[in-house]
Amino acid sequence: MSRNQSQLPRPFVYAGMILLVLAMIPPAVIAYARATHSPLPRIQLQQDMGVQNRFDTQQANPMFRDGRAMRPRVSGTVARGHLREDEHYYDGIVGDDWADTIPIQIEVDRAFLERGRERYDIFCAICHGVAGFGDGMVHERAQELVESGRHGTVWVPPTSMHTREVREKPIGELFHVITHGARNMAGYASQIPVEDRWAIAAYVQAMQISQHADEEGDS
Amino acid sequence: MGRYHYVFPQWTNKLVVLLVLGMAVAPIYVVFVVAYGFSPDTTWVGYKPEQPVPFSHKLHVGQLGMDCRYCHTTVEHAAHAAVPPTQTCMNCHTQILPESDKLLPVWDSYETGEPIEWIKVHNSADYAYFDHSAHIQAGVSCVSCHGRVDRMEVVYQAESHSMAWCLECHRNPEPHLRAPDKVFDLGWTFEGSSQEKDDYHAYWRDANRIQPGQDCSVCHR
Ligand code: HEC
Ligand code: HEC
Ligand code: HEC
Ligand code: HEC
Ligand code: HEC
Ligand code: HEC
Repeated sequence: MSRNQSQLPRPFVYAGMILLVLAMIPPAVIAYARATHSPLPRIQLQQDMGVQNRFDTQQANPMFRDGRAMRPRVSGTVARGHLREDEHYYDGIVGDDWADTIPIQIEVDRAFLERGRERYDIFCAICHGVAGFGDGMVHERAQELVESGRHGTVWVPPTSMHTREVREKPIGELFHVITHGARNMAGYASQIPVEDRWAIAAYVQAMQISQHADEEGDS
Repeated sequence: MGRYHYVFPQWTNKLVVLLVLGMAVAPIYVVFVVAYGFSPDTTWVGYKPEQPVPFSHKLHVGQLGMDCRYCHTTVEHAAHAAVPPTQTCMNCHTQILPESDKLLPVWDSYETGEPIEWIKVHNSADYAYFDHSAHIQAGVSCVSCHGRVDRMEVVYQAESHSMAWCLECHRNPEPHLRAPDKVFDLGWTFEGSSQEKDDYHAYWRDANRIQPGQDCSVCHR
């Protein structure tokens, strides 16, 4: 009896143990949540004004048929100050022919060519290769896919920048290819601003000259 | 037996000690659970929504070596990092794997002109102002805020993006600063002694005169 008196009654012991076990659940859940990824929506304890009744850039708006909150420009219209009259600058054309000079509003210096190199590496090198020989990573991979015949891949190899045909293209035509594409190559007008396209065209020519320095010298 | 009715049994002494202990531990426990459980590090980090197209950065960036700017074209000069339009995918996918089932929603979008409904992963509160270009121009790499996207099969939120997190870097941006050509190279790390590393970061801080604001009006405008 005296031993029993100094010992906690069983129900208390059980209750305590259950409590301890229950207390381990929240930390376990927290540790799990921290260690894993989940597609469940993020938990926002206080909404504050974090989600305001407005449309953000690129958000969806069910009011429009295409679901875009950002409205595309009405086709056939031109915003003030955006009329593209300068054929040389916007199309690479002078008179009836491809331009073979860079438009005068562009300042051609080292920084311009550097910019061209950087932009070429971003937008062109994946297909045409860093040195322009048509051996970019995407080309290599696409070639393998053609061989294995997976999911109908058809691939026209990206043209080497160092073929006679491409080397003879005036800079205006290169600009035009970047802008509108050529046969199986898509145009890059929406991804690259006009001036950067000129920079790439200038860099492509610089690259061609550097690869054919000996030949030029010989002839 | 009867006389014990009016005396607490001996075990209550133990119970009192346990209760006092419990009352001391409980607040610590609650603070711990609230601090860790309700922190954005728990509630936000790791958010990984299922996207309508199983687009993989690991494949396109990690393996094919594409630059972030090929798709996120606005990130250098605008506040918003644009998610690419369908046309960007079609630069390649009209020819590469055109019959893949995984690309069906892309073809739908291409043909109807309706955008693919990508689920937004990172989403700052609407009352906070964030600007990508300011950070990219300052030489802060995507990896500081988005983690190793080039290794993600599906994009998830790697950093908390809470106010405390923004401020932590605004108070000490130096370790995050790099040369402009390394900003898009997520795997890059400085190689050299820790002294050289500090000098490198300090150099880029001085070169760009980096002084991130900590006033409320910088981010709440
Ligand atoms: C997705 C891969 C891809 C990318 C990226 C790409 N090209 Fe091409 N390019 C091609 C392919 C494919 C061809 C060959 C098209 C054909 O002959 O049908 C080509 C052809 C060309 C030609 C020759 C055109 C002609 O008339 O013969 C030039 C010049 C060229 N690309 C320049 C560029 C430049 C500059 C860039 C960067 C802005 C670029 N390309 C980006 C795939 C690409
Ligand atoms: C081939 C195109 C492409 C390239 C290259 C690319 N991305 Fe993306 N990115 C996407 C698309 C499409 C989405 C939207 C779908 C998704 O979240 O996976 C996206 C989403 C993201 C998101 C999540 C956006 C959100 O909703 O919060 C981040 C962050 C991101 N990209 C970072 C990068 C970084 C960093 C790089 C360069 C290392 C990169 N991306 C390169 C196409 C691209
Ligand atoms: C520069 C070329 C290029 C661009 C741009 C591009 N992809 Fe890809 N994509 C590839 C290549 C190459 C593969 C195949 C790689 C492989 O299987 O190894 C591929 C594979 C895929 C696959 C896997 C298909 C399958 O059946 O396994 C999906 C999905 C995909 N891309 C979605 C997209 C989306 C969405 C975009 C636009 C945001 C996009 N891609 C832009 C080149 C590109
Ligand atoms: C200083 C931190 C920081 C850096 C550096 C950073 N981002 Fe972000 N990014 C954010 C934040 C914050 C958001 C959420 C913006 C919002 O919801 O308004 C975000 C959102 C995005 C989104 C989703 C945009 C949308 O609204 O759907 C993309 C895509 C993205 N970032 C790409 C990039 C790329 C690519 C880079 C590197 C060139 C980069 N980010 C660098 C902090 C950063
Ligand atoms: C990894 C470091 C880092 C993180 C994280 C970071 N910033 Fe910055 N932030 C910078 C640097 C560096 C600058 C540039 C300061 C300068 O140019 O002097 C900057 C500048 C800014 C500016 C000033 C832009 C302007 O127009 O003057 C704003 C606004 C800003 N950050 C908001 C945020 C917000 C909001 C977050 C959190 C979502 C955030 N930043 C997270 C490093 C960071
Ligand atoms: C570097 C950028 C930055 C600066 C500086 C900044 N904030 Fe914030 N603040 C944020 C961001 C980002 C959030 C939103 C976090 C989120 O998405 O919940 C935020 C959220 C808040 C919230 C809401 C918090 C909540 O969880 O409900 C308050 C209040 C706030 N800020 C006050 C301030 C005050 C006061 C100051 C000046 C002392 C300040 N902020 C300075 C970026 C900043």
